[in-house]
Amino acid sequence: MLAFLARRLCFAAFLVFAVSSGALVLARLAPGDFATADLGVRAQSAEAGRLRSRYGLDRPLGAQYAEWLSRAARFDFGESMLYGRPVRDLIPERAANTAVLALAALAVATLIGLPLGVITGSGRGGLPAAIIRAGSVALLSAPPLLTSLFLVFLAARTRLLPVGGMGGSTGAAGGALADFVRHLIVPAAALALPLAAMFERLQSQAMSETIAQRFVLAALARGIPWPRVLWRGAFKAALRPVASVYGIVVGTLLSGSFAVEIITSWPGLGRLMLDALRYRDVYLVAGCAAAGAVFLAIGTLMSDVALALVDPRTQE
Amino acid sequence: MAPVSGRPAFWLASQHLTRHTRNLAAFFLAVLALGAAWAGVRRASNAAATRVGAPSDPGVRPTGVPRGGELVVSIRTEPVTFNRFVKGDSSTDLVSNLLNAKLVRINRATQEVEPWLAERWTRSDDGLRYTLKLREGVVFSDGHPFTADDVLFSFAAAADEAGGSVLAGALHAGGGTPEFTAPDPLTVVMTLSEPFAPGVRILDNVPILPRHRLQPALASATLASVWGLDTPPGDLAGLGPFVLAEYLPGQRLIFTRNPSYFVRDADGAALPYLDRLVVRVIPDQDAELLALEAGDIDMTTSEVRPEDYAPLKRAADAGKITLLDLGVGYDADAMWFNLRPGAFDGDPRASWIQRDELRQAITMAIDRKVFADTVYLGAGVPVYGPITPANRLWYAAEAPQPRYDPAAAKALIESIAGGQPVRFSLLVPKGRTAIERAGAVIRDELKKIGVTVDVVALDGAALVQRVAGPSPRFDAAYFSLYASDTDPAINPDFWLSSGTAHVWNMMQTTPATSWERQIDELFAKQAASSDEGERHRLFADIQKIFAAHQPVLYFVAPRVFVASSSRVAHVEPGLTRPQLLWAPDRVAVSPARAARPER
Repeated sequence: MLAFLARRLCFAAFLVFAVSSGALVLARLAPGDFATADLGVRAQSAEAGRLRSRYGLDRPLGAQYAEWLSRAARFDFGESMLYGRPVRDLIPERAANTAVLALAALAVATLIGLPLGVITGSGRGGLPAAIIRAGSVALLSAPPLLTSLFLVFLAARTRLLPVGGMGGSTGAAGGALADFVRHLIVPAAALALPLAAMFERLQSQAMSETIAQRFVLAALARGIPWPRVLWRGAFKAALRPVASVYGIVVGTLLSGSFAVEIITSWPGLGRLMLDALRYRDVYLVAGCAAAGAVFLAIGTLMSDVALALVDPRTQE
Repeated sequence: MAPVSGRPAFWLASQHLTRHTRNLAAFFLAVLALGAAWAGVRRASNAAATRVGAPSDPGVRPTGVPRGGELVVSIRTEPVTFNRFVKGDSSTDLVSNLLNAKLVRINRATQEVEPWLAERWTRSDDGLRYTLKLREGVVFSDGHPFTADDVLFSFAAAADEAGGSVLAGALHAGGGTPEFTAPDPLTVVMTLSEPFAPGVRILDNVPILPRHRLQPALASATLASVWGLDTPPGDLAGLGPFVLAEYLPGQRLIFTRNPSYFVRDADGAALPYLDRLVVRVIPDQDAELLALEAGDIDMTTSEVRPEDYAPLKRAADAGKITLLDLGVGYDADAMWFNLRPGAFDGDPRASWIQRDELRQAITMAIDRKVFADTVYLGAGVPVYGPITPANRLWYAAEAPQPRYDPAAAKALIESIAGGQPVRFSLLVPKGRTAIERAGAVIRDELKKIGVTVDVVALDGAALVQRVAGPSPRFDAAYFSLYASDTDPAINPDFWLSSGTAHVWNMMQTTPATSWERQIDELFAKQAASSDEGERHRLFADIQKIFAAHQPVLYFVAPRVFVASSSRVAHVEPGLTRPQLLWAPDRVAVSPARAARPER
């Protein structure tokens, strides 16, 4: 197991290096630079020249990349041109917000999607199973952008929940935690609902295949009650497909949360990345991409470990 | 006689009432009793306030402007620093206006210069020296006294381009940057190298910073790195109406009233009227408007998009919000061609693409009514030059206004193209819906006169790189060009051939055309003239020359609509952003709903 983890960690380190380097190079090669984005048509003024000189944008790409790399090796990822702060300081505060949102959405999606998948995949769900299946298909076909817009609209119309923001204000009714949770509901639901639908579909299919296997029939023949066979034996055996997509799902959550974070005003990594790209803040783009790669690496690791636990053959 | 109700005559009066009616009556009696009690409490508390208050006491409101409460406003991008000297984006500027004061302030409603830290000023006969008298007894939010030394420090910091100041250009007056001296702690003298008509108007660009806090940073050329967003709120000191209480990155900034703020209203009451001002970051404009309708925010800091007008009008009709029509705006989006000499060398289109006739034909071929209806959904006014009718002081109605005449436009095109197909690309910024619609209208209208336009939508930075990069590569562009002030003398970058915003041919060493040379000369004269009448005549001449050559084409200026919650009780709307919050010290909210739940 240790060798397995070591291999995965090496791959994660390579992934972070490759993604951040690629992001920096691509952002640098894109037309325009921070001075054009910041100063608009005055991009040839003396002020623009000073900006380019200050951030090394007037140097060749190779020289700029080499310097960034040597500093990154010392965990200095440069200074954000947009915010005038070290990227190293900016990323953690936003990444933490994204992580909270992603984990909340993942937990909700798992808690909703898997049991529903068991119900629809058991073949004995009847009308409720048909309704669940239809709901899943509808949610799967709606991108998180639309879901979040709809939920924000709903929150605004019903006034049951706050329209955007992250809350956590100490002066709020019910305290900071309650305020934070109220603000978390809309963005987490926007991310979780399509995910729950995906989990439901995967789990349903896996369940229908599992219950057709002979060990289920054998268990029933030994007199083990159907619910116990379903929720213990078959459920665990059918978890493999869901476990194998968990890592990808974490990556999807990060990329999917870009739109959700913008619409629900959630101050996460997605919004920071969008601003960085818009302003050609190459060091911040590289930092955000590295953070995204870290998320993906952690997700993949989680997925591999989960898969190894569910199916020990994977370690081989 | 039988009872009307059909009940026995011997019943008591109360027995004639049903249970429902009794409940209703009880409810109304309870409401009446509560109302009477509340009125008594209010009377008692008002009486107490009147007893302890003095005429200048904030507790007394002789003008009727409500005091106290909280205002929640939204911005779409968060500020990038608390140091206005290193960034000029709208959010950083808004925060700076809450935290800092300036010597003078341009009233965005009237465009007049009004005193702020300077209570009065005089100009020497030669127009080169302005002597400003500062207010006495003013202190920073940390209690340190404000003197002329702070003014000298702030202007030195603003001029320090090497240290990262972005304000140096805004201080450019005529031939150069003014010099500032302080003969005594309450007097500042601004000396210009040559007469500059806008005079003290340029002082509206520079917030006054505390010398006692930032002098070491200026001395060590590190001013650019101070007062970043990671600065603890307690380390910021200013002369503005508010102080920063809390900053939650990416979420909100919470300001509370600065008890040391020096401005009082006409009746001597201390400003600001608000106790608290919350600035929320809402990046998405749709979510911003939903938050406004839901009552989560009180106002946005920018105008309403044309497509949002109809739903907001419904919300306004339902009494949820207030929608204000501020009239036609100062700025219209514009179309221009690459007029750099040699830009089309070797291109078969070189014979016609930079000719005046092409641009004259285009301005005649665009039906401005169709343009206004399609792009601004009817909320626009036809314009023919960079100065719109909103700028009453400087708009020249006598400048030529070409009529809509597609036949004449077609004939003009044929006369210059000599049978060649007339085709060019038009760059527009991607994601700006009104501008993308405008690109489509231009394409469709010009198609009618045989001109093919390829509309190319580019990301903003990529478009600027193509249009204003070191070697511009574009045929034509349609984009936003904002003037920094309504006084044309403060926008030399656009008008002068050497200007960095002279978009059709930037930063010329010598004027490329005779008419640009003529504009340069007239502009220099009007900027230096102390005779306002002469200035207006000269600038009208500039507008006529501009209209004759049409280096930049203008079609329609949008009307400006802004929306706020009905809580907002006292605003003086201006046409430029932030339309309702340019004077945050004078904004108030209705006391009836001043207390609001934290959202």
